[in-house]
Amino acid sequence: MKVSFKLNGEDVTVDVEPNEILLDTLRLKLGIKSVKRGCERAECGACTVLLNGSPVYSCTLLTVQIDGKEVRTLEGIQDTPEVKALVSKFVEAGAVQCGFCTPGFIVTAYAMIKKGVEPTSENIKKALEGNICRCTGYKKIIDAVTKAIESVK
Amino acid sequence: MFYRIPKFNYYRASTLDEALDLVSSLNDFKVLAGGTDLVIDLKVRRYTVKNVVDISRIKELDYIADDGDRVRIGALTKLQSIADSPIIREKVPVLADAVREMASWQIRNIATIGGNLCNASPAADTAPPLYVLNATLRLVSKEGEREVPIAEFFLGPRKTALRSKELLKEIVIPHEPGCGASFLKLGRRNSFTLSVVAVATLVKVVENKFADVRIALNSVAPTPVRARKAEEYLKGKEVSLDNITEAAKLVLHDISPISDVRASAEYRKDMSVVLTRDSLIKSLERIGIKV
Amino acid sequence: MIRFIFGRRNYYPSSGEIMASMEDPYVLIDKWLRAKEFIVVGKGVARADALEKALGKAKYVEDYFQSGFLFIKQVLSTEPHAKIKGINVEEALRKPKVVKVITASDIPGENQVGYALPDQPLLAEGKVRFHGEVVALVVAEDIDAALEASEFVRINYEPLPHILDPLEALQRKDVLVHEEVGSNIAFRTRIRKGNVEEGFSKADVIVENEYRTHHQDHLYLEPEGALAIPGLDGRLTVITAAQYPHLAQSIIARVLGVPASDIKVIVPYMGGGFGGKDDEGPLTAAKAALAAYLTGQPSFILYTREESMRSHPKREATIIKYKSGASRDGKLTAIDVTIVHDTGAYANRGPFILWRATVHASGPYHIPHAKVDGYCVYTNKVYQGSFRGFGNPSVQFAAEAQMDELARKLGIDPVEFRLRNMLRPGLTTITNQLLDHSAGIADAVEQLAKVSGWYSKRREYGVSTGRFRRGIGIGVAWHGISTSRGVPDWSNAYIKIDKDGSVTAFTGIVEMGQGSPTSSHRQIVAEVLGAPIEKIKVTFGTSDAPDGGATHASRGTSIGAIGVLVAAAKIRERLNKLASELLNCSPDEVVIKEGKVYVRGDIERTITWEELIKHAYSRGVDLSATGYFFLPKGKFDDTVGQGQAYPAFSYVAMIAEVEVDTETGKVRVLKVWPALAAGRIINPQQVEGQIEGAAVQGMGYVLMEQLVFDDKGRLLNPDLTDYVVPTALDVPEIAKPVYVEDLFKYGPFGAKGVGEMALIPAPAAIANAVSHALGVRITKLPITPEAVYFEVKKHGLIK
Repeated sequence: MKVSFKLNGEDVTVDVEPNEILLDTLRLKLGIKSVKRGCERAECGACTVLLNGSPVYSCTLLTVQIDGKEVRTLEGIQDTPEVKALVSKFVEAGAVQCGFCTPGFIVTAYAMIKKGVEPTSENIKKALEGNICRCTGYKKIIDAVTKAIESVK
Repeated sequence: MFYRIPKFNYYRASTLDEALDLVSSLNDFKVLAGGTDLVIDLKVRRYTVKNVVDISRIKELDYIADDGDRVRIGALTKLQSIADSPIIREKVPVLADAVREMASWQIRNIATIGGNLCNASPAADTAPPLYVLNATLRLVSKEGEREVPIAEFFLGPRKTALRSKELLKEIVIPHEPGCGASFLKLGRRNSFTLSVVAVATLVKVVENKFADVRIALNSVAPTPVRARKAEEYLKGKEVSLDNITEAAKLVLHDISPISDVRASAEYRKDMSVVLTRDSLIKSLERIGIKV
Repeated sequence: MIRFIFGRRNYYPSSGEIMASMEDPYVLIDKWLRAKEFIVVGKGVARADALEKALGKAKYVEDYFQSGFLFIKQVLSTEPHAKIKGINVEEALRKPKVVKVITASDIPGENQVGYALPDQPLLAEGKVRFHGEVVALVVAEDIDAALEASEFVRINYEPLPHILDPLEALQRKDVLVHEEVGSNIAFRTRIRKGNVEEGFSKADVIVENEYRTHHQDHLYLEPEGALAIPGLDGRLTVITAAQYPHLAQSIIARVLGVPASDIKVIVPYMGGGFGGKDDEGPLTAAKAALAAYLTGQPSFILYTREESMRSHPKREATIIKYKSGASRDGKLTAIDVTIVHDTGAYANRGPFILWRATVHASGPYHIPHAKVDGYCVYTNKVYQGSFRGFGNPSVQFAAEAQMDELARKLGIDPVEFRLRNMLRPGLTTITNQLLDHSAGIADAVEQLAKVSGWYSKRREYGVSTGRFRRGIGIGVAWHGISTSRGVPDWSNAYIKIDKDGSVTAFTGIVEMGQGSPTSSHRQIVAEVLGAPIEKIKVTFGTSDAPDGGATHASRGTSIGAIGVLVAAAKIRERLNKLASELLNCSPDEVVIKEGKVYVRGDIERTITWEELIKHAYSRGVDLSATGYFFLPKGKFDDTVGQGQAYPAFSYVAMIAEVEVDTETGKVRVLKVWPALAAGRIINPQQVEGQIEGAAVQGMGYVLMEQLVFDDKGRLLNPDLTDYVVPTALDVPEIAKPVYVEDLFKYGPFGAKGVGEMALIPAPAAIANAVSHALGVRITKLPITPEAVYFEVKKHGLIK
């Protein structure tokens, strides 16, 4: 069936079977590669996208569910001041290792900033609870997010 | 790659009436509310279904209403909306506490309270607080509406009192001022994890005696359960650590945990006692009583 | 080796010979080891790959997949141990879009992929040995077709009795995982140093315990995948997530029965490896290559998380019996250790893992008398393999528990007791290897005790009888760098400078998160050439680079970058000579720094880097070089386990502070303090990242990660819901590391290995802290809340 939605500000229409997952639509049909396939079971956060502004896992959404909605991925927010700050602080702080989880973290952190969550260490960790990183031990990620928030204030 | 879901027919309802039409005309279907459980269950073939009815767009079921003496939550209200709701935080904070610890932000942004209840997992974390809040579930079908107390809703793992053509419409929570309630969850890590045991308790104290006590647990029986024996023991008794400790031990009468990959039955039993005691103490603290 | 042939009298070397001597790797390594001032080495230079990764533009294996490629789905065994009576693929082949079903009999070359022993098929042949073993590959035009057809591959099993417990497997001869071996013992190791009876007779206290440690899954976020494209670049090109492209190349060549030169392997960015893709990577690649070879079409495989967890090798599960003795003055006299590794269905790298555990069994201490016996035992479970620490975290956990218990019996502070026995330059290891230099652990531990407030906390904690009890514990560990037992190890890389002055280094070292090619290699090239770091590009993970060994064993920089350094240093010698002619000075006076070439002390006489390179091209100076370096080999006698085990050791210590909730058993790690004696720290920021990541991965291993098998050896939690790893809310505070830069003479600028280090003492440090808090010795991992709770209950620590 035809599903139309806004992807990173552009209207797109895709023809999908009802059993198709948004992650597959994005990666395999729409060329969105920042969205990573880590677990496919809503357990790791590597596939995080924004659905109407809120972070969600694209691996547990049927593409038909997003008909008429707005999806943004890291590709679509990279020019925002928040993401620019996040990216530069991730690089500076050494918060990137294998990088597979990084886009998911940045998307979630962006949503947190946009939501206006008070940037305490506990709140930042809580917001990032659904993004698993196996390389960094999180410390530098939390540092980077903290610094990015300070820099966009 | 990849978990692939077997093919199914997809039906989408925009209104409650459309949804009821669909569920009364279809056989072999599953309802998709947020889909965070259903989609995974379909992926891992816990279920294979012919039809999926997507009710996630029914706006009329997405609300949190404060009626003064009660709070009503539409079945399709997202968990994150509940965690963030000033109404919930003010009137029934124990529910916000529980929901805040459920899954992750990404999941709470999609998952609904109705989905969590209707999925009927023994580990459903919305259940213990709703149990102690004496919530009622309003079920609706084309024939009309009926109300079921939450304690009668769960019949077994993945089994509920919902009839085949019925949908959960809303959760009605009486507002009882002066009660103290709390929620404690023991998982295998600090967040984004399923309960090994979770407990909600609610206390009402009059003249330093327990006027009312409600205790509910999950993950320790085929359904979330009330610990009636422990509740009865405390009612009318003086508020004291000894009484609480004694009562907590009685939860064992109402639970029947199993051993699985998350914990042994024995650990679950002992933790039910510890968490019940701790939660009762915390509930009392909520109304300014230290024991 | 040629050293300073100028010293010979009456000898006038030709210019070629001068260059050869100046380009002797020993001379060059030594020259740069002695450098006093640095441009970029030792600085927290941002990684070259960080930006594109943060923007989501970095490409991993799946990002190269295009529709139209064939898709491969694996058929896994549903039996733990069974004869394969037959495989019927007819029904699956009849399904739409199915191109091929591949079983062992289709393999054109050798169906043999065992790394240490020739015991392992790529696809099960004759029998299956664990639940989850790969039996067949279904190749179809799309994913759905492959998935559907995979359910119609009919395998006729004749079940055999299976065996899951390694101690039982050790005893039994009637149930054999590999009949041809005659027992379930895949491999044995031993050490005999001195005379343990004599050692124990001198002991005033003896401690004897049995320790158990468990499996761990790597849980790299990117599952295994490979894409094989026939004919690309004139060869069968395989894009895969493997930690050693040349090994993947040779395994593919063996399975296909073609020369390695017909195979090209490219390892793009990898979403984590931790050792797991060292073992599984080449096998993943071989499966894709096999499908592409047999069908002539591009073929793609990507494991689901469940497949990944069911089939890829795990950290070893162990049983360690440990007896140690010490004299009243706090000196270790002897150890007697028996190590049993549950290697699962195949040896894989199990013998190497056991060997490493064996030679590190003492911990970083001097012990005059040592006896160690190791057994690598087959069982019908998923096999063990490489995982950060490689056999060492488990044995250091046991050794360090012993140290604490001895110290307790002797009434000596645990840190003090360790310091009295610690390996230092001039002492020998239990393999009787003399440590002649680069052993800075004692200094590191002394500093660590200070910064962590060890002595006061150790007295203050561990006495509470309340619900929440604090404890502080230490784990000290050592880890041999490079390959072992005098097995040859070498490094190599190729560097070229293009006409515009940009520099490319080609290495087989991969980028899997550790960052060696994108940070330290780049810094080393920039430092040695003096070129601006922005001009340095490192092309990693390609089998077209010279074979410089794997990215494992913490060797990505410590060994992997030697080749980079040597190649760059060769070119630098040539550039110095050229510049000296251009600037009219001696080559020793040439400074190349930040894009400028000038005479030391005379900034006026200067040209730019680009000009220098132009001159080199016009005057016929070769601006390409390889950096082959073969590490000096030692002798090792396997019959007694004596000799040179490793060219050098990295040392690491960790102090952990914990709080235990005795009522729930939950352990909170409040803070950890790491210390590292790993030679030169080339990039402190990246080293810190490795330490923090390893500490948390180690903490997860100790406190929560647990694979659960049923009575058929089937993994019950092949997902992240029930195999739990730390989240952002689980991590402790991690202190700035203490570094002792105990330079290693062959390391690039004196660097030793870092990547694995902080994981190795983590189990010991946390377990010792919990033991301190409770006053009860923890001998078994993991220390889950449930495990701690039942310990507390058993010892009656709460009412």
